[in-house]
Amino acid sequence: MAASKSNALNWFLHRITGTFLIFMLITHFWVQHYDHQVASVTHEVVTEKGEMPDYPDAAKEGVKAKMGNDVEATPYNVVMQRLADPVYAVLWKGFNILFLIVALHHGFYGLNNVLTDYIRDPMGRLVARSLSWTVALGLLIIGLYSVITAGW
Amino acid sequence: MAVDTQDRPAATTAENGPTAEQDSRFQRYRIRTGMFAWIMHRLTGVGLVVYLIIHIWGLKSLSDPETFNALIAKYHSPIFKVGEFALLVAVAYHAMNGLRIVLIDFLGWSPKQKRLFVTLGAVTALIILVGGWPSIYSLGEWLFGPGTMPSLFL
Ligand code: HEM
Ligand code: HEM
Repeated sequence: MAASKSNALNWFLHRITGTFLIFMLITHFWVQHYDHQVASVTHEVVTEKGEMPDYPDAAKEGVKAKMGNDVEATPYNVVMQRLADPVYAVLWKGFNILFLIVALHHGFYGLNNVLTDYIRDPMGRLVARSLSWTVALGLLIIGLYSVITAGW
Repeated sequence: MAVDTQDRPAATTAENGPTAEQDSRFQRYRIRTGMFAWIMHRLTGVGLVVYLIIHIWGLKSLSDPETFNALIAKYHSPIFKVGEFALLVAVAYHAMNGLRIVLIDFLGWSPKQKRLFVTLGAVTALIILVGGWPSIYSLGEWLFGPGTMPSLFL
């Protein structure tokens, strides 16, 4: 391993972020796939281009109650029940931002471990490292922007 | 790195003999399982990074209802339902193997390695079955016609 003073700290952080991700991924999975009112993905296969998935009654009623009687339960509106809610949006956006940061740190630190294992040459390592963290930073900015402005 | 923890020789033989010279069956078995577990951990980890990149890139569409609807509708097409299931398998495996590594590193559970391995294997299988049921169910309904799949707890 290329000697770096922060290696031990990073190694420790990687285990902590991994443990955090267990809880965050369970929440994420529940919200996107299981919850009848707010899950963005339904138990349905759609084959026609442009056709929208059909949402459960709980989702249709939730959207109506929040956005008005003539509003349809489209995927976007179903997600906006959480992300455009006057009260809970802050909570959900906060959760998503934390999730975003933790997942990116864990994923890209791990990716760097893998790259360091296969790239022997110090210069090559530096290039790989800089490149991957640049990508991570780019994704952080894009992700922050998407989730913060969602529902505005 | 993972190899160090998984291949750590049993306490009695820890002093000098390199693992390659121990030819007891148990030890060999453990090395092979450990290697496989480690390679799969690496593959799923890298796979998840790839998914995460695509995912965050796709979520730019959160700023435009039409594009976002099209994206989520795409998640409902047959091939994506298969992908969704594969994603869950990767996440479940990586998470439970990661948990195993953390427990061994932080709580020093190496004497209990084998039992831990089997327990977490069972938990992983359970997560995949329960968590993957929506995808299996929807694929079945589509393949064999509406009402052919038991909806169970959905
Ligand atoms: C098929 C499974 C998945 C679906 C349908 C899905 C869907 C979504 C949706 C709709 C959002 C928007 C925010 C929200 O609704 O609260 C989101 C955000 C997010 N997802 Fe997923 N997701 C899935 C799997 C994953 C996995 C496996 C990961 C981790 C590797 C992940 C990481 C994230 C992160 C970090 C965010 C926040 C992004 C941001 O802040 O811009 N997702 N996901
Ligand atoms: C769900 C909870 C997760 C847990 C408990 C977890 C745990 C771990 C642990 C403990 C390691 C270190 C392995 C070692 O040092 O040998 C690791 C490596 C890694 N993880 Fe995760 N992880 C999780 C989720 C994720 C996610 C969502 C991603 C992708 C975005 C990811 C990507 C990686 C990568 C690329 C590595 C490096 C693999 C290697 O060095 O061989 N992990 N994970």
